[in-house]
Order: sequence, then C-alpha cells, then structure tokens
Amino acid sequence: MTPEARSPAGSLRTGVVQAVLSEIALLLENLAATGQAGAIDLRSLPLTEADRAELEDHLGRGEVEARLAVAGASEVWETAYAGVWWIRHREAEGEIASETIAVTRVPEILMAHPADITAAAVRLQEILTPRRESAIGEETGNG
Amino acid sequence: MAEGQTLGELLTRHGISRRALLKYATYVASMMALPPAASTAMAEALAKARRQSVIWLSFQECTGCTESLTRSFNPTLENLIFNLISLDYHHTLQAASGTAAEAARLTAMKENAGKYLLVVDGSVSLAEDGAYSTIAGVTNLQMLKETAEGALAVISVGTCAAFGGIPHAKPNPTGAVPVSEVITDKPIINISGCPPIAEAMAGTLAYLIAFGKPPELDHLNRPKAFFGESIHDRCYRRPFYERGMFAKSFDDEGARQGWCLYELGCKGPVTYNACATLKWNGGVSFPIQSGHACLGCSEPNFWDKGGFYRPLSTAMGTSGAWIGGAALAGAAVGAASAAMLRARKKSSTGEK
Repeated sequence: MTPEARSPAGSLRTGVVQAVLSEIALLLENLAATGQAGAIDLRSLPLTEADRAELEDHLGRGEVEARLAVAGASEVWETAYAGVWWIRHREAEGEIASETIAVTRVPEILMAHPADITAAAVRLQEILTPRRESAIGEETGNG
Repeated sequence: MAEGQTLGELLTRHGISRRALLKYATYVASMMALPPAASTAMAEALAKARRQSVIWLSFQECTGCTESLTRSFNPTLENLIFNLISLDYHHTLQAASGTAAEAARLTAMKENAGKYLLVVDGSVSLAEDGAYSTIAGVTNLQMLKETAEGALAVISVGTCAAFGGIPHAKPNPTGAVPVSEVITDKPIINISGCPPIAEAMAGTLAYLIAFGKPPELDHLNRPKAFFGESIHDRCYRRPFYERGMFAKSFDDEGARQGWCLYELGCKGPVTYNACATLKWNGGVSFPIQSGHACLGCSEPNFWDKGGFYRPLSTAMGTSGAWIGGAALAGAAVGAASAAMLRARKKSSTGEK
C-alpha cells in the first residue's frame, strides 16, 4: 500500500474515472475508424488510489498479458476492450515509474526495435561463425 | 566513446535495448507532461544524438543538489541519464583532484567549445571581487565567466544558483547573487529547489539532449513541465482545503486526519514545483505528505519571507480574500475542464 492510499485523501473517489473512460471511448472509436493510435498518461491525472482501482475494475482484463524485464519490471495487459492496453512501467525497486493507457493494435514496447534486431542478428552470427570455421577445419582434417 | 558514435550505438554496445530507451523516454515524457506519443519521438531522437559533454561547477552551496541527483536514483531506469551525458568535470564526484581536476575542465572546454552544457549549483559571491569563495585559487566569479564563455547553455540547479538562495538571504555578507546576474549572454535554465528534484534535473537534461533546445520555460526560466503548477494545485490535501478543513496545530485531530496545512504556514499555494506529483525518495513522500507545511524553497527569497510557520494570509494579505480567490479559481478550472470535454465529445460526433 502506498502512503497516499493510507492517507484519508487516498481513499477518495473524485469522479475523474468517468472522464477517463469517455476519453478512452473516443480514442477507441478513432482507432476503429482510422487506425490511428492514441494514449492517455495516467500519471498526469489527479487519480487517487481509489480512482485507479475503480478504473482498473471498469476496464477489466482481456486475452493478453505480458511481463517485461527492461530496466526494472513492466507489465502490459490488454483490457477487456480489444485495442485498449494498460502499460505499467516500474523502477528497479518496484515503484510505478509511468502508467499509460495505450489505444492501439499492439503497444510499441512489445515490438522488437529494428536496431535491436540488427544487433541480435550480428550477435547470432558471431556465435555461429567460429563453429562453422571449426566444422570446416574438422572436415579438412578428416579428408 | 568513439568519435561520431550515436547514443543508440553506444547503448547497443552496452547491451541496453531500445525497449529500455523507450521505457526511459516514456518515463521522462510522463514526468514532463508531454503527450504520450512524444515518448517515441524522444527515444528516437536520443538514439540519434551524441553523448553530451557536461561541466558541473559548485560554488557557494551545501552539495545538497548533487546529493539529490545521485542518491535518489535507482540503478536501472533513472541511471540511464548517466549514459546520455559525459560528466567531464564535477569536483565532488570526479576521481581526479587538484591540478589534474582543473586540467580535465580546461580540456573539456577546449574539445567541446561551443557545445558543452554548463551546470552550476551554488550562488556566486561578488563582494571583495569574489574572494569569499575560491576553487584552486580561482574565484567562483572568475571560473563562472571563463567556463560559461564556450558553453552552449547554462543550467542553474538549486535555488542558490537560480535565485541566490540561502547565501543571498539577509544580510548576505558575501554579496551572493544568482548565476543570471553574472552571465547575461547565454541561455539559462533554472531548476530551483533546496534541493531541486532529481527527476527535474535529469528530465531537463534528457529533453535538451533529445531535442537540442530547452523545454518551455516560465517567467523565472524554469521548465514549465516541472514548475508549471503550484504545490497546492496538485496537493492530495487539496480536497480538505476546498471544504475549509484546516489543521490548527501539528498535533491536533485535523493534522492526524491529514487536513490542509494552510493555516500552519504552508507556502504551497505560491510555490511552483513538482513535489506533490513526483515526490521524493523514489516517489515515497513529500513534505506535506509527511505532515509538514511547504517552505516554498523553489521560489526566490524563500528564506526572507517572514517565517515558515506564519500562514500566507499574515504575510501576503487577508486570509478570507485569498481563500475566496483560490476557491473561485478552482471552480473556474473545473468548469473549463467540463466544457472542454463536452466540446471534444461534440467534435468527435460531429455535433454542433
């Protein structure tokens, strides 16, 4: 439990959740109509702990959940509404660093970046190359 | 770092993935209240940028600003900032000392002329030609002028460098002034606070490196992303203020229930900083959450404003008029937000 949740103000429901849900609905309609992604930064909103729990209850859980080990843990899940994703990034000690509702087909953080793919291909080649040379050497030695 | 290498290439070499950079950029964008989509742009821009040379000068200060920057960091996400910069001189943190340390500063100034960022913490003494504070026999005044000459921009961290701070408080025996009274021909960004919030320093640096320009600044040259709202605007005790529920002493029932500390001298309504949202010690708490009123440490002359425990109404006018004005402003903001939401709905449905 965070200190805010322990405080009396942390248990208040401010009513902001309805406004957030309306905003998500607009973004989702837009995604369906145009394919354009959108996002809401939850940390920029004056949400109390009670508000956050209420929003999570309203959105529910969908078919996809992912855990990332990237500079601390991250959790990504699709809500009960297809295309509405909850992305929670944590710092190394578990505190929430950022929290976003992404309205998109697939959150960018789940996709491998082209630069990482290129670097991975090089690394894999580096592992394979000595083995090939070694295998050729063995063949030569045997022939 | 190899000449011409981008930060993206450097991070790849160190095994840091672009996902980590995107996560960092998302974190910075969120801190700076940038649109969520800006995180992708920031990550891409950072990947293409070069590592930024930074020279950090400490003058009449207590080292609290450096403590804030280094000690509050977790070793993973937030420490990424240290991959983005090359801290070429910082006399508290660097291994070199004496002549070697000063040589490092001069080398960085020469090699990165016109491109390095100068960070200053502490005020500058003008009395007796600056003789009150010297480093390696050079006055702070002389070192500031000499180092600022080739800098791209100056970042004054902490209230002392930004506004004079505690050394500037009455009777100010050393003739302490902020950096901006000495350097007038360079862009200056002030990140005030005693100490300043680490995320405000790191976020501003990341923005500068990514986009090559300062973020939007307020009338005191502070990034609006961190200083655009008052402590009071974002205080979790604000609902009690709106209901007129005030603690009358630090140990009464109201204080125990977490009521507003306005009548105990809280300077939150006139103090612009991000303590109420970013908080301190990894987001654990901030002074008001710990039960103490805000001292207003990120504002000019906070030390000389008539007492930390005197309510604002005593120092700045009648309590009733101030509260009435603030409540009215709060109501106006609420009405404007509702109107914007209605307008957005109408726009999306084509309704006129």
